[in-house]
Amino acid sequence: MSSFFGVVAKQIKSHPALIPLFIFISGGATMSVLALTRAALKNPDVSWDHKNNPEPWNQMKPNQQYKLLAVNMDYSKLKKDRPDF
Amino acid sequence: MSDAVQEKIKNYRTAPFDARFPNTNQTRNCFQNYLDFHRCNKVLSAKDQDTAPCDWYRRVYKSLCPISWVQKWDDQIEAGSFPGKI
Repeated sequence: MSSFFGVVAKQIKSHPALIPLFIFISGGATMSVLALTRAALKNPDVSWDHKNNPEPWNQMKPNQQYKLLAVNMDYSKLKKDRPDF
Repeated sequence: MSDAVQEKIKNYRTAPFDARFPNTNQTRNCFQNYLDFHRCNKVLSAKDQDTAPCDWYRRVYKSLCPISWVQKWDDQIEAGSFPGKI
């Protein structure tokens, strides 16, 4: 792995115009990994433990927001509206 | 049945927004309410209570689910081959 960064450092020194390219590529790669991790860990449709957590979407609060950007939806006003049983 | 629940069922118009299913795909919403209706019936009749509150779930799944799905699941429940956990 150190040889990888050595190669990259040499390329940047010889072609400094490539620096924005590296920034954007590493930014994009980081965002993809973060999005995948968030989906794996936080998505209520994902269940890693079938025995203890078979329906993870039922563990959500009635005003909990999973979407990163919710248009036209005021989550703070939501209340629980289903009967208990 | 508590008055609040009775009031809600009387004023029912359509399925309310469910934070568990915020996206366009409402399949799981439909199936979950169908399951909850049958689970509610099972739990309340086992406790010998009035199963009228379960009517909320019945109204919601009738609003959301395609009729063919409901018929298929009803037939499966009668035949004992329903895949969901009730």
